[in-house]
Order: sequence, then structure tokens, then C-alpha cells
Amino acid sequence: MAILTTNTDASARATAAVTAGDGGASRPLATSVVGMRARSWTSTAVISVVAVVLSVPLLVIGWSIVDPSTEVWQELWATRLPGMIGETALLLVLVLAGTLALGTALAWLVTAYQFPGRRILGWLLVTPLAIPGYVLGFVWLDTLQEPLGARGVRSIWMCALVLTITLYPYVYLFARAAFREQSQRAIDVARSLGCSRRTAFWRVVLPMARPSLAAGVALVGMEVLTDIGTVRLFNVSTIADGVLRVWFGTGDRDAAAELALLLIGVTIVLVAVERLARGRARFTQSGSRSGLRVERLRGARAVAASAIGWGAFTIAVALPLFRLITWSLEAQRTNQTATVSGDFGFHLASSLQVTAVATLACLGFGLLLVAGLNRRRRSGSWLGRLATLGYTVPGPVVAIGVLITLASVDRLGWLPEGWLLVGSFVGLIYALVVRFLAVAYHGVEASIAKVSPSVVASARTLGAGRFRVATRIELPLAGAGIIAASVLVAIDTVKELPITLILRPFGIETLPVWVWQATSESLWVQAAVPSLAIVSVGMLLVAVLLWTLERGAETVS
Amino acid sequence: MKIKRLPLLGTLLLGTLVLSACASGTGADSTQPPADGDAVTNGSTVTVYTGRHYGIEPVFAQFTADTGIEVRFTTGNDPELRERLIAEGVNTPADVIMTADAANIELAADAGVLASVDSDILTETIPAELRSVNNDWFSLSQRARVIIASTDRVENPPTTYAAVGNPEWKGKLCLRPSTHPYTQSLVASLIIAEGEERATEIVQSWVANDPLYIDSDTDIYKAVAAGECDIALANTYYLGRLLTEDPEFPVGIVWPEQDGRGAHVNVSTAAVTANAPNPEGALALIEWLATDGQRQFVDANFEFPADPNLAPNEIVAGFGEFTADLAAVRQLGDNQPAAVRVLSVTRYE
Repeated sequence: MAILTTNTDASARATAAVTAGDGGASRPLATSVVGMRARSWTSTAVISVVAVVLSVPLLVIGWSIVDPSTEVWQELWATRLPGMIGETALLLVLVLAGTLALGTALAWLVTAYQFPGRRILGWLLVTPLAIPGYVLGFVWLDTLQEPLGARGVRSIWMCALVLTITLYPYVYLFARAAFREQSQRAIDVARSLGCSRRTAFWRVVLPMARPSLAAGVALVGMEVLTDIGTVRLFNVSTIADGVLRVWFGTGDRDAAAELALLLIGVTIVLVAVERLARGRARFTQSGSRSGLRVERLRGARAVAASAIGWGAFTIAVALPLFRLITWSLEAQRTNQTATVSGDFGFHLASSLQVTAVATLACLGFGLLLVAGLNRRRRSGSWLGRLATLGYTVPGPVVAIGVLITLASVDRLGWLPEGWLLVGSFVGLIYALVVRFLAVAYHGVEASIAKVSPSVVASARTLGAGRFRVATRIELPLAGAGIIAASVLVAIDTVKELPITLILRPFGIETLPVWVWQATSESLWVQAAVPSLAIVSVGMLLVAVLLWTLERGAETVS
Repeated sequence: MKIKRLPLLGTLLLGTLVLSACASGTGADSTQPPADGDAVTNGSTVTVYTGRHYGIEPVFAQFTADTGIEVRFTTGNDPELRERLIAEGVNTPADVIMTADAANIELAADAGVLASVDSDILTETIPAELRSVNNDWFSLSQRARVIIASTDRVENPPTTYAAVGNPEWKGKLCLRPSTHPYTQSLVASLIIAEGEERATEIVQSWVANDPLYIDSDTDIYKAVAAGECDIALANTYYLGRLLTEDPEFPVGIVWPEQDGRGAHVNVSTAAVTANAPNPEGALALIEWLATDGQRQFVDANFEFPADPNLAPNEIVAGFGEFTADLAAVRQLGDNQPAAVRVLSVTRYE
């Protein structure tokens, strides 16, 4: 399997690499059937419509730039804006450095060395993905309040630490996949040229994994830039926080929209830096995928390796989980499990329903886009980028954009009397697709790109039609990657709060909404039960993800 | 190479599921009744957007038991519910909007989404200071934002908001961040009473005391109890909750500005929306909350009644009698943008 890189979006690389189960590999020059129809006008038209429909909510917000309110900007610039930019930059640098170091180190540990517990740790170290940042935030805030003091715990450093342990799995997943794809041969050559094992890691292994690492880090960057819940807990004043501060404090929608555009600008810079970091790197590997030779650790070194792995797992997952369980038991004992509306089963059912439908909708649109866009230019296509813009914007901004859009449609009166999009289940799903389509789209794209062109060509030579090739060869072969992409969407959706909070219909109260109802009143004990439920669902999804990735790796090779 | 059909089958199945789920979702969950539908328009159901959600459900249940009118409600943050109401315009399903803060309801009124109501019951029960000039929103309860101090360590706590900025409290002060409406409306009340220039000086003196910012009133109380700070600004009702858990909780209340305008109070409010599908039901709910339901509504959260003839709950009464700055309540909304500006200029976190 060759490792090639192309100039595409950071997020594209990111999700693509995870779901395809490799280090960001794709074959830009491969020809396949899914996507060939792109040349027809009808499919271009369909894709354009989809892209426009999915980007309207953000264009509505962005429209404000046409008539910029300079006064607000001058005031912001004179007061809070420099601080916001500074804190955003510092937080970004800290979390990017932290996740890069932690994710890469842990991935190398479980890939290159054999030690007690290695196999189970390889899985467990992905599980922080299941814990929402706002849950991990309040658990650690309350836990560290006593030893560090209320002042010490509320700092940008603690915020960076919490975000690092929540988000490092993205880097870890990419790094692990990239290391697994590498062959021992490169290392052997380096060693024969006089490198120590350590030097070989720094000078050969790491540089070859660079594209994947950059992709993972870019995804982390986007999560940090759009985070609202965690930064507020720790009093960090970022640009995303500023958007809501201006909007909800003064009701000045235009000024808030302009700040949101600044945020999109920062994301574009981030993507550009990621591309620079990746450079013109094109790494291919010849020969069979032999994998790295695993070194067996003994004695103290084995103990140390175990300790590092289990230590990371304890801080990121085990301790928070322990606190959540303790609180849940306390809530049971003191009868604080009551919710504002409905019981546990009702909230769980709401969450599962929203997650299932939103995931399938994202997958459906993802497949549609991949099938419709010209394969060669797919990853760089501006239509694809337009349709997936929502991933670079904080959830509440997407929600208000969707709210304004759907309300305008409702006013047109095209729907049957009495039917409205705002506050409907369809409206909620639409908003979630706008926000999370990027994850599904790039995952599907990468998986299908991995299908060997020679297999497709053989099938065509043997007389299979395009549709038959697509349904009998490409989709089945890409199946594991597609499932993995869907699971990533599901993990994002089951944790999602701001969009659901603003747009949910009557009769839908998800688990995160329950968490919000408790945490907005600082009732941590009451928040424990729904938090635990979210984490449990997330853990199940992570298990499915890992299982799919393992199986996918076997199928494709 | 083995071709696996399962994923394909799975994809097809899932696709079907999407469609069916969407279809059922549209029908069952969007709950948009047909125009001549009976669920909402015949007066048997009132739809509420409420930014106040703590302990609200039993109150609504009691209303249904008393009147036979069902309540359908959704919770959220005040500003987001306001944005939703404004965006929905004539199509809104909401009959009533309830907020936990006066400024947000005033901003909704400015946007023209509230209905002016002619109700003798409301005008007789709720004092004029606690409802809008046009009677398009009504307060249902009062929440005072006061100075709190450790009963163990503080002998002479400040008695005015300005005195909180006294250098003797440097490093000993806890405040809520400026993102929260409670902070914004407190500063708005300073602007109303003392003018923007003086308000800026006061907030500046708070900031100069290097306060510890905590985005939770409960945690602010706990920080004072734990010795993280000696004094703080917080709402009284959280102390009510803490005292039910621990009657010896070592934090006391100081009523500020008692020689002048009185302690800053904010209100939780309710209003009939301008496009309410069921305005009669909406009014019935608000009138009930102001009268028969007032006791339960207010006590659920240890607040002060909006009806001056109703005595506060026992624990709340234990905080003592006080003068409230009622004159400012109706102007809080108009002064909120200025408050946000003052908080920005002074670098209040």
C-alpha cells in the first residue's frame, strides 16, 4: 500500500485518514467508477444544489460582511479583541503541542514495543473520544478545585490540559495508522547507515508520518477553535466565546457574525499552516507491507511502558469515569435523578433517535457528494468545501444560521398549511448535517479512493457495468471505512449540545440537554447520570469504530 | 479478492431507515398540527419557551391539574429562545415566553414579538415597577443580587456595590464572569443609578481588586465558604438551596444600598407572544402563575414573590427584610448594551 499525499483540506486528511485506517493515504490519480458520472451536467447540478442548500445557513451569517459595522470593531479592537486573539492563539498552540506529543508518543509505544497490556491499551487509549469535553471539564474542575484552589484550577493551562486529554485520540489514531503502514525496511536501511534506533525514529519514522500527524493536529485545531463549553468553564476568553458574548450580550447579530468570520479566517490559516507543515511530501513505499519489527521490552522498561499507557488512560478516562459513577450513585441515593422532562429512558431514546438519523443522513449526503463530484478534483472541489463549511464554525453559530434560514423558508409558505421546518425533527437533522457532513464526506471519500484501480479496471474489462462495479466492488471494499466514518459522525452527534438545544422539536430531549439543565445550575451530582449515559453510548461507538478499523485493515490489504 | 455483500446490504437497509425515520420524524415529532388542528388551537394546550427551567415541571403539572389546560414546553438559554422567537415570527408555535432575566424579555419586546395584554388580575397583582410600561411582559418573581461574606472571617463587610471595590478586598473577591446576564444586569443597574461614567469607575475598582471569576453562583458560595475569597456578589436563592443541605453553611448575606436605592433585583418574567396561536391559554397560564401558582413557582427556587402581598418562604424570610431597587427593573434591558460596553472597557473578565 502506497502512502501518497495530496493537497487537500486539513479536515479532509483528518477524517479520511482515520476512517480509511491508514496514514492519510489516498490515490488521487486512480480512476474508479463511483464519481465518473460527475462529468454529466445533471449530477453537477444535483451536487451544486446540495452544496448550496447545506451552506446557506453559513452564507446567511456571512452576509453581514457586506455591510460591516465598523464601530463595534473599533470598540472590540480597543478592548477585548486583542485578548481574545491572544488567548485563542495560546490555547491553540498549547493543545496542538500537547496532543501532538501525547498522541504520537502513545501511538509509537503501542506500535513499536511489546509490553504487558499492550494490546488492550492500544484500544483503551482511543476511548477519551467517548467523553464530551464539557463533561471532562466539570469533572476535573470539581476534582482539582481542592488541591489547586478555585483560582489555580481556572486557568488557560488547565483548560489546555483538559482539551489535550480529550482530543489527543485524533492524533493517536492517525499516528498509529501511519506507524503501522511503515515498513521495517526504511528503519533497517537507516540502522545500517549507522543510526541508533532512537535516531531512526526521529529522522525516518517521524518525518514519514508527518502528513498524518499534521492531519490529526489540524482536526484537533478545529475542535479547539469551535469549542464553547470547556473554555467557559475555565474562564478562557476565545474568539468563539466572543462571538456568543457579543451576540447574546448586545443582540448585535452583525457584529457577532463578523467575529465568526474572523474565526473562519483563523481556520483557513490553520489549514494553510498544515499544508506548509506537510510541504510537498510524497512518500511511497515499495514492497510488501511488512510492518515494523516489534521490540519486546523487559524488566523495568516494560513496567515503565505499561505505567505510561495506563497512566494516560487513568487521567483521561478511568478517574473521570470513577467520579461520574460515584456521583451517579449519590444521585440515586439522594433521589436526584429526576429530570425536567421525562425519565432516563426517554432521554436515551431521544439521543439514540437523533444520533441514528443524523448519522445516516450525513452518510447519505456524503455518499451522494462523493458519487457526484469529479474524482480527480474531488478533494479540492470548492463544491465539496462549500458543503462541509459547517465543521469550521461553532455549533451555536450553525444553529442560528439554520434557524434564520428555515424560518425564512417557513414564511414562504411552500409547505402544507401548518407544517413548519423550525422546531421540526427534519430541521434539527438538517442542522446536524450542516455541522458534521465534513466528517462523513471525507471518510467516505478516502475509503473509496483506497479501492485499487486495477480491481475496478478488471471488473470493467470483464463486462461489469458502472453501477454493478460501484455496488458490487467499490462499496463493499470501502465498507469498513464507510462504517468507520459513520461511527465518527455518531460519536460527534451523541455529544452534541448547542444545536440540539436551540433547534430540538417538542418531545426530543437528548442526554446532553439533560446534562446542560443540571450543569447550568451547577448541579454536578445531577449531571452525572446523563453524562455517564453519554459516555457509555460513546464507548460502544468507539468499540465499533476500532473493530471496524481492524477489520478494514485486514480486508483492504 | 473476496467481495463482501454485507456492507452493501447494510448501506441499503440504513438508507431505507433514514427515509422512514425522517418520514416518521416529520409526522410524529415535529408536532406541527394542521391549520385547523385541535391539539393547540382549541385552548387545551399552551406552548411555552422557558429560559427558567429549575423546578419548572411540577409547577406546570399543577397548572394542568387546576385548569385542565395542558402545557407543552421547551427549555433553553434566554437569548437563544429570544432569537428563535424572533426568527419564527408569525409562524411561532410559542404562546408564552418565560425568561430568567429582565433584559432578555425587554430585547424581545423591542423586537416586537410580545403582545400587550389587558388583564386586571395581572395589573392588580404585579406592582407597576415589575411589569413593562405597555404591559407586554410581567415579572413573576424577584431575585436579589447581593454582597455575600464569610461569617467566619469577615466582620465588617461592604454595604454598597461601590465599596466592593475598596482596596481592602484585593485578592479576596469572587465575581461571576461578564458573559452571564446576572453580571450584565447588575452593571446596568449601576448605570441607571449612577450614570455610565461612575458605573465604569466602580467596575474598574472591582477589577483592580483582582477578583476570582467563577461562572456559577453555587460555586461562588462554596468558594467563600472554603476561604478562596472573603466576599462576593451572588444571588440569594442559591444560599436557600445550600442551607437546605447544610443549615450551618458559613456564608451570610449583606443587603447592599439600604440607605439609598436598595439592593439590585432582577426578575423572572413571562409574556404572551405577539403571534400566539392560543393567546387565551397563554394569559390563563401567566395569571395563574401570578396568583394561585405564585407560591409554588417562587418557592421552587427560593425567590422573592412578585406579589408584594405574599410573604416569602421561611428560609428566604430568614435572610431578613430589605429594600429593593425596583425602580431600575424596567430599564435594565435598555441599559444592557451599555453594561456590556462598560464590562469590556474595564477588562472585566
